[in-house]
Amino acid sequence: MKRGFALLETIVVITFVMVSLLLLYTTFVNMYNNTQRNIGYDDASNIYKMYYLKEYLNLHNLQDLLNDEDIITLSCDNFNFSSCPSLIDSLALNNLYLVKYGLKSYDSEKYSSSFNNYINSLSNHEAYTYRLVGEFLIDNNYHYASIGVMSNE
Amino acid sequence: MNKHGFTLIELLISIALISVCLLLILRVMLMLENINYDPSYASSDEIRRTEIIKNIESDFLTYHLNGLDIIKNDDSTTILFHMDEEKSLTIKNDTLTYNDEAYTLRSDNATYNLCPSYKYLALDNDYYLISLTIPVLINNENTTTIDDLELTYIGLRNEFTNYPPAYSC
Repeated sequence: MKRGFALLETIVVITFVMVSLLLLYTTFVNMYNNTQRNIGYDDASNIYKMYYLKEYLNLHNLQDLLNDEDIITLSCDNFNFSSCPSLIDSLALNNLYLVKYGLKSYDSEKYSSSFNNYINSLSNHEAYTYRLVGEFLIDNNYHYASIGVMSNE
Repeated sequence: MNKHGFTLIELLISIALISVCLLLILRVMLMLENINYDPSYASSDEIRRTEIIKNIESDFLTYHLNGLDIIKNDDSTTILFHMDEEKSLTIKNDTLTYNDEAYTLRSDNATYNLCPSYKYLALDNDYYLISLTIPVLINNENTTTIDDLELTYIGLRNEFTNYPPAYSC
């Protein structure tokens, strides 16, 4: 009867443990990266900003802009009220988009990687026509928030 | 084969392999620690911050914010929200009280700035925008704005609407 493990047995067991730990490590690294990436997504104050902005833009011609395009980049040229630049500035908005709900594929090369990451993180459980996506520039980092827009709202 | 236990070389190889495993575990643990604890902003108050913002903004929408007053005292600042039901928000160094509910900061070295920033913007003849921000300081410095309490409201002006045009401490 052997009185201890053989080298081969020890190596086999440790290799198995190492593979398990590597899998665990990879999972945690992915979780960590996702958490870091999602820190700037859908902050409560930014969601309320988007809500009020949507309500106000609905009083102007937001509904007219809902066409068949996948992603529409909005600017103050799309709206007919003079306080638009001040409003955008006050809300710390860097860009504003209308993104079709349930969008699965689009020309991602036209947009920034941070915007593409945000779009890919969104779920499509609710039945809106578009979502109004705000890109906020806060402390030199891009933050995103969005709210659903129904046609004929 | 040595049947009396490990040889020195077997022990050395085993210890080397186990060390690699332990280093990996340590790195994962440090990463997890970083996720939960970031001293550069009020990371331990993220959920409460969301709760406060939601409670106040829900009241703005439910009771229709129509005006506000900011009253600065020596050790606190009180913001009176004129709505269908009057509400007040009291800011102290480490506590914020809204609607008789106190929210105490839990993050290390975090305090509320008693001097909120306030902006009133007339959007057109009927609508206006209110921005109210209560900064959260770390070691008396506003290191980042992502932990600040930022409240927004777009309302319809009426005969009772009464906001200060600007505010400075």
